[in-house]
Parts: sequence; structure tokens; C-alpha cells
Amino acid sequence: MKALCWMGTSKVEVHNVSDPMILNPHDAIIKITRTAICGSDLHLFDGFIPTMEEGDILGHEFMGIVEEVGKDVNNLRRGDRIVVPFTIACGNCEFCKKKIWAACDNTNPNAHLMEAAYGYSGSGLFGYSHMMGGYAGGQAQYVRVPFANVGPLKIESDLPDEKVLFLSDIFPTGYMAAENAQIQENDTVAVWGCGPVGQFAIASAFMFGAARVIAIDRFQERLDLARSLGAITVDYSADDLSVLDALKDLTGGIGPDSCIDAVGLEAHSAQLQGVYDRVKTALMLETDRPSVLRQAIQAVRKGGTVSIPGVYGGLLDKVPFGAAFGKGITMKMGQTNMHNYMKPLLERIEKGQIDPSYIISHRIRLEDAPEMYKVWRDKKERVTKIVIDPWA
Amino acid sequence: MSRALNEKPNAEPLPTLGSAGVILNGRYLPPPEDKDGKLWVRTSALVQSDPKRLYEIWRDVENAPLWQEQIERVTRTGETTSHWIMRGSDKEKTLEWDSEILADEPGHRIAWRSVCGDSSNAGEVIFEPSPGNRGTMVTVLQEFRMGKLASAWETIVGRNPKQAVIENVRHFKALAETGEIPRTQGQPHGPRGAVAGVKAAAYGEKIATPLGLNRKAS
Ligand SMILES: NC(=O)c1ccc[n+]([C@@H]2O[C@H](COP(=O)([O-])OP(=O)(O)OC[C@H]3O[C@@H](n4cnc5c(N)ncnc54)[C@H](O)[C@@H]3O)[C@@H](O)[C@H]2O)c1
Ligand SMILES: [Zn+2]
Ligand SMILES: [Zn+2]
Repeated sequence: MKALCWMGTSKVEVHNVSDPMILNPHDAIIKITRTAICGSDLHLFDGFIPTMEEGDILGHEFMGIVEEVGKDVNNLRRGDRIVVPFTIACGNCEFCKKKIWAACDNTNPNAHLMEAAYGYSGSGLFGYSHMMGGYAGGQAQYVRVPFANVGPLKIESDLPDEKVLFLSDIFPTGYMAAENAQIQENDTVAVWGCGPVGQFAIASAFMFGAARVIAIDRFQERLDLARSLGAITVDYSADDLSVLDALKDLTGGIGPDSCIDAVGLEAHSAQLQGVYDRVKTALMLETDRPSVLRQAIQAVRKGGTVSIPGVYGGLLDKVPFGAAFGKGITMKMGQTNMHNYMKPLLERIEKGQIDPSYIISHRIRLEDAPEMYKVWRDKKERVTKIVIDPWA
Repeated sequence: MSRALNEKPNAEPLPTLGSAGVILNGRYLPPPEDKDGKLWVRTSALVQSDPKRLYEIWRDVENAPLWQEQIERVTRTGETTSHWIMRGSDKEKTLEWDSEILADEPGHRIAWRSVCGDSSNAGEVIFEPSPGNRGTMVTVLQEFRMGKLASAWETIVGRNPKQAVIENVRHFKALAETGEIPRTQGQPHGPRGAVAGVKAAAYGEKIATPLGLNRKAS
């Protein structure tokens, strides 16, 4: 089959590789009909996530048709159409039982690597480094899905792929970000980043009852999409604009009730702290660039909540913990507990409450993916989301 | 207080080890540092199953190759004795030893030691219900006599004994909870780079993941 492989920092290539096989009794093999490139893939592309290997197949947002199932998969059959969550969960461990699926104990074959870095290992992820399991991803024609008895969501209606594909990651991720933001009726919520995750966080914040959402980014096409959802937008790159002042002005000096960091470790910063973080990450004294996280902690109101769907991987410098403590804020974060949200969000799509395909700007072939990774990284061509048809 | 928190495996038959069997009265004590050429390993796992079933999976020694890394075959040689064959990650060298069960409390505890052969180890596993019925606490204490034997062991096996015990308990838990052991060996990938082999070894990916598929586990 054809698959997109990570071949080093800033280098991805399409290669012919062998087809995946059933390796375990709860596996399924999926013929992929649509897959997408995620903001998280950029952290791999840009070399921020350790334990990537040349030849690793990328991709964790995908859906398709079941080709074959292992002997203990009783819920799926050949021909079923499914969306697959990007976190792999066993369904039986203490954490799965608690519905903290992204913390599953039994799906990371390289758990010891993550234990060394984080103390404990989270669940395995598709196409996201050896530390996170080393599973082959789904920017390919076929993929092996472990624990197919637990994760995949069957699509029984005739909704087109593009409307349900984002149930594999970014819609649930944006939704959990809003849930983690502990939004009360009529709250004001600020969202940093109007990429796909930010978009769904904005849409979901309204679902949770937010009266106002303030969306922050610098790309007009992304701010336009945010406004189309009803958000007030702030272009942080505008001359003389201070995001903190803007948020104060818009909230009567109180600050947003909740702040959502939908940017993560590669935040862009025009200011001095940007230079500071660039030097420090280059010297390996810091691994992540937390400029948005710093702002969000600074901006949130007293007793408010900072929700962090944006990915962080390692060590962060100069995080204003005193401000967090001084204001008594709550911080919630983590990989999305996908399995909690896929079904309810599919229902919302089926009822016509939201059509997630509105963010798609590019539809491409697998062969175009290496070029499009660069466009996606540089946010060129008014890109807002890239969807791949691996058979085109 | 949990008996599982003994300092050393209760398997030690030597009278010099006074602390074996000591109840710790609420104090946590770490396993002793490596000394006298011995290495102690203690690890535990919370497993969503009952002590009886877990005891049975563990006690069925001939099934050990299904969840213990690089164990090629275990043959029962008597009521409490068995012969173990381990094959190194190079697929060529083998280690063999005999093992004897010293204590066997069905549904609760097993203690063993090697009696002769290429590995000198003693171990104990205890299965206890966790507080509030959150599953079974499986605690393993294992002791390896170091020296030439152990370093040969490490080269052949490709993991240090400590990590090997930890990984085996992880596999045991996965198998007991899900009926399989997570694996990636055998999946597709693109062309690997020049240092891929070294890295795979460093990640522990060269050690074959045990097969899983225990009839008693599913
Ligand atoms: N928690 C999870 O499980 C999960 C799942 C998916 C994605 N993510 C993470 O969410 C984040 C966003 O993903 P995405 O797909 O939307 O990526 P993206 O790269 O398309 O979007 C990031 C957006 O942040 C904006 N941005 C950069 N610096 C900023 C700043 N200083 N202030 C305001 N906005 C700024 C960029 O302009 C861009 O529009 C990534 O870190 C991704 O890894 C997390
Ligand atoms: Zn993603
Ligand atoms: Zn689990």
C-alpha cells in the first residue's frame, strides 16, 4: 500500500510499504477512505516530539471501511463504515473504567519510555512517536486498528465522510476543551488559536452556554471562520495590540471566565519572550514554547479556568505559576478522552446542529501530502484543514 | 499492613535474612539496594480481575511463555518443579534453569527460586484485593544474584533484570485485563534509517512481545 512516512524533521515522503496485518485478536484492518492532517502532526514534522523514527507512518485522523477483523472483534464486520479515535483504549483497565480513556494502561507497547519521561504512560496513539506506542498511522491506504472492539464508531447513516471524519480527533478535542473549561451559562470564554481545534472549541463553548467567545489568531481566514460561528475576534498580530488589554476591555476589566489554549507548544510570538523561547529551545534548555499558555494564565479571571487542548511535550520555562496560584485558578488539560464524545457528537451532526466539514479548505491526494505539510506548517494558501483521499 | 510490602521475597530460604516475613506496621520500606551481588526488584500492578483467577494464570507455569518475555518453553517436572528455557533476542543463545515453588497459597501467593542452571533468582508474587475493590494488587518481588551470570543474562536478554520483571508484570496485566498484549512488531513501515536498529534496541522494541492469547485469560 501507499503510506506517508516521517523521514526526519521537515521531511515526509510517500512510500510503498507492506499492507498491515491482524496481529492481535482485537485488531481490525481498515481500508481508509478519508484521512486528515492535524495540527499535532506539525509537532512531529517540526521535530518537537522525541522518539520518531525514519519510516514511521504518520496520521491519526482517519475513517474507512472494515476489511478484516480479528477473532475477538464481535461488534464489527467486513464492510462496516467506521471512524476511528486517535487514542487507543482497551476498555477494561482501571482508567478506561473511569472513562479516562486517554490514560489507558494497556495499549502502549513502549509504556516504559513514557514512564521514564512522565512517571506513568498514557494510552497508545496512532502515528505519534515510539514513546506513544509506535503504532503505524492512517495517512495511508490501510491501517491496523488495535482494540477495534472498543474504539471505532460505526456510521450507519449515509452522511458523507467529510461530515464525520473529524469525530476521529479535532471535534471531540475542541468539545472536551470546552467541557474542561467548566463553562457556566452566560460566561465569556477566550480561545487562543483558530485552527481546527480552536474552531471546534469555539463552537462547543456556545453549546455549553457561553454568552460570548473571544477568538484570537492572526490569520484572517481563520478569524473569519471564527466570526462565522459567532465569536468576537482579536488579531494578536495587529500593531500596538495587547491581547491582555483587549481581553480586559472586552470583559469590564474582569477577564474571561475561561481561557482555552488551542495552540500548544509551537505558539508563535512576535515579542521578546518569543526570542527567549527560541534561544532556549535551540539550546535544549526548554522543549516547548509556552507563550500562549503564559498569556492564558495571565488573562483568566480570578477563580477562572484554563483549559489546554494544545499539546505540550516537555519542559516549559517561565510559566507564571504565581499568577495561577494567586488567582486560585483551575487548569484542565490532556489528550482527548475520545471515546466519551464520539457518539454524542455524531448525534449532533446527524441532527444537523453542526456540519464539521466547514473548516475544510484543501482536498488532496496522498502524493500531494509532502508538499501540503509545508503549506499546513506555514499556514499558506488560506489553509484551514487538509483532507486526504488516499485512493485518488 | 500489606504483606506484599516485605523488603525481600519470602522465597529466600536462607536463615540470614531475618526480615523475611516481617510485617511493616504502616511503614513503607523500599526494597534493599543492590548489595552482596544481589539485585532486588519490586513492582506492582493494579489488575481488574479477582485474585483467584490471577493466581491461576500465574501458577500455570507452562503458560508462562505466553506472557513472559523470551521464555521459550517451560516444562513441569514435578508437583512444584519446572524446567525453564529462555532464548535471547539474538535468537541463538539460550539460558536454562530449574525452578522450584517454595510456597503456594492458592488465590493469594506463590514463591519460588531457581535451583540450578544459568539463572539464579528467587521470587514471590502476592495477589491482594485493593482497598475499595478497585481490582487486585499484584505485587512481585524478585531477587537476582548478580555477578557473571546476571551480566550474561542481561546481554542475552537485552533488558536489565529489573526492567524485564516490570515488563513481564505489564504483559501479565494486559493479558489478564484484555486477553491480549499490545504489540507493534509486524506492522508496516517505510525505509528505516541508518541508526534504526540501535534506536529500536534502546526502545526495547527488539524484544519479541510475548504472544498473549492465554486460554485462561479470555
Ligand atoms: N489534546 C488533544 O488531544 C489534541 C488533539 C488534537 C490537536 N491538539 C493540539 O491542538 C493544537 C491546535 O491544533 P490545530 O489542529 O488547530 O493546529 P493549527 O496549527 O492549525 O492551529 C494553531 C493555530 O494557533 C494560532 N496561533 C499560533 N500562535 C498563536 C498565538 N500566539 N496566539 C493566538 N493564536 C496563535 C495559529 O495561527 C494557528 O491558527 C495543537 O497543539 C495540536 O497538537 C491536541
Ligand atoms: Zn490530531
Ligand atoms: Zn484501558
